[in-house]
Amino acid sequence: MMPRPLAALLLAVTPALGTAQFAHATGLAYVMNSGAASISVIDMGKRTEIRRIPVLREPHHVVASPDGKEILVGDSAGNELFAIDPMKGTLNRRIPVANPYHLGFSPNNKFLVVNGLARNQVDVYDAVRMQLLKRFPLKSMPSHLVYTPDSKRVFITLQGTDQLAAIDLDKLELLWVKPVGKAPAGVIWNNGRLLVANMGGDDMAVVNPTDGSVEKRLKIGRGTHQVFSSPDGKVVYVNSRLDGAVTALDAKTLSVIRTYKVPGGPDCLEVAPDGKIWITRRWAEKVAVLDPVTGTYETVDVGRSPHGIFLAPNAIP
Amino acid sequence: MISFLDSIAGKIQEFVLVPLMYQLGLMQWEELGFGWALFAVYGAVQVAITFAVCVPLEKWRPVENWPDNKAVWVDVIYTCISRVGILPLITFVLFWQVQTALNGWLTDNGYVPPTLERLFPSLLGQPVITFILYAIILDLAEYWRHRLSHRYRWWWALHSLHHAQRQMTFWSDDRNHLLDDIIAFFWFGLVALLIGVSPMQFPLLVLVLRFLESLSHANVRLSFGWLGERLLISPRFHRLHHGVDAAGRRSCNYGAVLPWWDMIFRTADFSPRYFPTGDPTGGELMATGTYWQQQRVGFGRFIGALLPGGAGNAHR
Repeated sequence: MMPRPLAALLLAVTPALGTAQFAHATGLAYVMNSGAASISVIDMGKRTEIRRIPVLREPHHVVASPDGKEILVGDSAGNELFAIDPMKGTLNRRIPVANPYHLGFSPNNKFLVVNGLARNQVDVYDAVRMQLLKRFPLKSMPSHLVYTPDSKRVFITLQGTDQLAAIDLDKLELLWVKPVGKAPAGVIWNNGRLLVANMGGDDMAVVNPTDGSVEKRLKIGRGTHQVFSSPDGKVVYVNSRLDGAVTALDAKTLSVIRTYKVPGGPDCLEVAPDGKIWITRRWAEKVAVLDPVTGTYETVDVGRSPHGIFLAPNAIP
Repeated sequence: MISFLDSIAGKIQEFVLVPLMYQLGLMQWEELGFGWALFAVYGAVQVAITFAVCVPLEKWRPVENWPDNKAVWVDVIYTCISRVGILPLITFVLFWQVQTALNGWLTDNGYVPPTLERLFPSLLGQPVITFILYAIILDLAEYWRHRLSHRYRWWWALHSLHHAQRQMTFWSDDRNHLLDDIIAFFWFGLVALLIGVSPMQFPLLVLVLRFLESLSHANVRLSFGWLGERLLISPRFHRLHHGVDAAGRRSCNYGAVLPWWDMIFRTADFSPRYFPTGDPTGGELMATGTYWQQQRVGFGRFIGALLPGGAGNAHR
């Protein structure tokens, strides 16, 4: 029998984990095929790929523009951002940017920070004018980033040197670089702390954003790689590369709610309005659509090495 | 077919490479691991297809018949090391470090490598045409790398290992000194960096190109006809390059896939002759020694060529 506190917790987070109250969410899903130089466009309702948008070399991550009218796809080896209309799936424009791997707009929409993993550099742009404000050479392998909610700082995992870096965006200064664990990748802001997924280990570090000190380590699974918040902020999802698993944690207590087996190198994920979790599986060339209630998933075929994913539920296929 | 081969690479990555990298504390290279798995799987398929086509061809109309083919076996080892073995893994990691440093330096100096698709936007969405254009550029780079390896004494000391084989077959394509292979990886890496292309984006086309390179070394009397000889390099055309009289500085037919560069730079020889192959100055071990004997002698000749006044080797 399930322990009562755990049952209560599961019920409490059920809206975030999703219920089967809706049919399939509709809209378009965009999947970055990093090994196939293309973006798969998926009909979310039918769960099928309807076409591919060609890009140059290696599309990895994707972010919505501040006005929500475009999604920007970073083609890291192609040195360009591809601006796509998510409603229509059409290419609006191409923007030359050096080695855009992971990228993100600050919450106040003033800055765009772009991590150049293959160039050991982090570029801070004026998001409105798309003008480079400052380049930070950061060794090595700047991987993922997250901002403080007040947009004053940005934090970057340094995958090659087991560190986390903090940059002051007002002064455009490097504040500190601190060790956080082996090969850190994903990082998010959660209740005043940073959660850092350490891919070279089996843990997620809870980090103090002021000084970079590690306050706690949570054992997740071998190859802990990416970490995400649910849309309502109640659940934290963490992917484990080696164990082929997605672990759901309570965002307040960071206790494990449930672990789902998703083999094939789970990477980025997005939660659809129907509660289903769309997860890219890097080495399987598929996207898993996980039902968090039953723990089962459907798959959608995409291109080689699918990485970033973006859901546009309002788009009409 | 691509999907099937990719899925094999995916399984190798998931169940062999990533657990190994995790144990060795190398998880930051995890994405490169998948690249290597793809390289190895497609390399194995290249070898299998080349074997399936070239063995019947070599039995059909061999240029030479040998009482035994012991000397060929070392070339099989070279092929396995080069196409599916450890060499790509080492060069992937080595090259990553150099590429990162060079990339960062170029960017800091205001140079973002342009792609053909930026210079010619209509190429976007035409991957096959784009790849063919890139393949032509890379083939030109290979022509000059190869020609220069005959020009300089120290480089020829390494490259002469490739020419030392007297029993040249389709396996001989990858018969190279390790240092020569590393130079070639850096050469290609640099060119690929400057023009921004990733060959694994087009695995099947790479497979075809590598097949043509292997075929050009095959022990078979095969010409592609007057026109065909001027479009693609045939076994007859490339055999002239490996002829005993063509070893060293005064060679001909340096091209890898396309004969155009030899035609443009006046090094083409289309004469319909089939010469014995080998390098008479190379010594017996370079021709018939074991893998390590050949590597050791090649390295000794390389050092000799670098020393002031050192003969190193007879460089004609």
